[in-house]
Amino acid sequence: MNNVNSTVLDANTGWIILTIFSVIWIFLGWFWGRKAKQLDDFMLAGRNVGMALGTATAMATWVTSNTTLVAPQFALQLGIWGMLGYSLGCIGLILFAPLVKRIRSLVPHGYTSGDFIRLRYGVWTWRLFLLISMCYAIGWLISMGMAGGVLIHALTGIDYQYGMTVILVICVTYTLLGGLRAVIGTDFIQTILILLGVIILAVLTISEIGFEKMHQDVLAERPELLNLLMPAAIMFLFNNLLFGIGEIFHSNVWWSRAFAFREGVGSKAYLLAGIIWAPIPIVAGFIALSVSSLGLNVPAADMVGPMVSAKLLGFTGAVIVFIVVFSSLASSLDSLLAATSDLILQDIYRGHINPDASDEQLRRIAKMIIVLLGGITWLVCLPRIATLGSLLQYLGAFVASTIWPIAAGLYLKKANATGAFLAMLLGTLSGIWAFFGIGFYVAALVSAIVSMSIVLLSIWLVPDDFAWERLNEVKETRS
Amino acid sequence: MIASSLFLKIIVTLGLVITIAAPVLLIIMWIKDWKKGQLW
Repeated sequence: MNNVNSTVLDANTGWIILTIFSVIWIFLGWFWGRKAKQLDDFMLAGRNVGMALGTATAMATWVTSNTTLVAPQFALQLGIWGMLGYSLGCIGLILFAPLVKRIRSLVPHGYTSGDFIRLRYGVWTWRLFLLISMCYAIGWLISMGMAGGVLIHALTGIDYQYGMTVILVICVTYTLLGGLRAVIGTDFIQTILILLGVIILAVLTISEIGFEKMHQDVLAERPELLNLLMPAAIMFLFNNLLFGIGEIFHSNVWWSRAFAFREGVGSKAYLLAGIIWAPIPIVAGFIALSVSSLGLNVPAADMVGPMVSAKLLGFTGAVIVFIVVFSSLASSLDSLLAATSDLILQDIYRGHINPDASDEQLRRIAKMIIVLLGGITWLVCLPRIATLGSLLQYLGAFVASTIWPIAAGLYLKKANATGAFLAMLLGTLSGIWAFFGIGFYVAALVSAIVSMSIVLLSIWLVPDDFAWERLNEVKETRS
Repeated sequence: MIASSLFLKIIVTLGLVITIAAPVLLIIMWIKDWKKGQLW
């Protein structure tokens, strides 16, 4: 991966593409953000996002650099189940669709996922949830920042530090200028770019090689990739599924969009985004199966996608991959910056430090938080500590523990604070134990099972009788 | 249990059809929202 010799583009071309897209994203951030005068405009894009932009932003945010680069890697390592298992990540988006409707009806004036947890389960569960949420958000930011530097280096040979700095500065700048409106607007363009790039590469692979030849060559050289009963791949499938659900159910990236979408749009947009996202890992991943037919020697599994593209399409293919990867990185990084700054602003600054802050003050602080988050991410990413890159896998234990407290809290009056607190705490601890004791592929699974058992047990032993009207408190405190 | 080339062809073709339809659908929805003044 670090090997400059495996780059598919030269550094000059890389800099030209980076410059063109930097100018476009920053201009659009300024253009869309210039009218955002109120806090709601900046944090939640005016709470009026329509179906097209809503669907695209949900889809683009879920397409990370992992989807476009790791899907081919999984196809190369785990075969057909690798890409099919990855595509099950869409279940998180699809299951969140009905929850969005419920969230909008129960907490119509909410800002963050923390608002719901605080009002539903009280202060201590809220604080534990914030800890889990912040660990995850910072972990994802760091892994995205590092991925940006590593991928730009691997594709173009540009130094890791420069690539990482450029992608962070671009995303921080346009998020700062336009808030969630800039994030959602650019996400639409990034979605179209990602989809077009993936389509061109897939069509070309099929027309140049064809299914029959690809299948024959894989069967002759690596038949295990076509095995539908590969045990490691099946374990990966379940863990990936639960990790994805946990990520979406708890993260403010997805909750802030639930609050930002126009009434009646949220659940349809998430459902459609899930359906559109599902085939991406398959369409982006299957090209890795052409390695045998093309006679490629892949030095690092995560470079298989770019290498196949460069082999088939030459310079144009390499440029397409670079644009797809760059768009995927930016669409996730900007969303994460905006949603994490909202969480810090609403739940930490306003919730714990300055409850009486005016909208103007909050808007100013929101911008400071975005810069601070970008700066911290940059500092942590700078030394390129390899273990930090795999931080996200470790966080499966954290996020999977929140699935049941959130789902039960939204639908069951009997779900209670003690159960939710213990479910998150013991779910996370047991998941961490499983991560180190068994393997990364069971961390989310164990965490979700323990958390589910505690939530169900607490509902049976100490049922609450929650009054849903209490969730309207956000409106009352603001009016 | 080895996947046949037909299986591979079906899942990739199905995926590709949805992926090709996606940008078309998104652009149609964008135009529709824009005409109604409901982009955001």
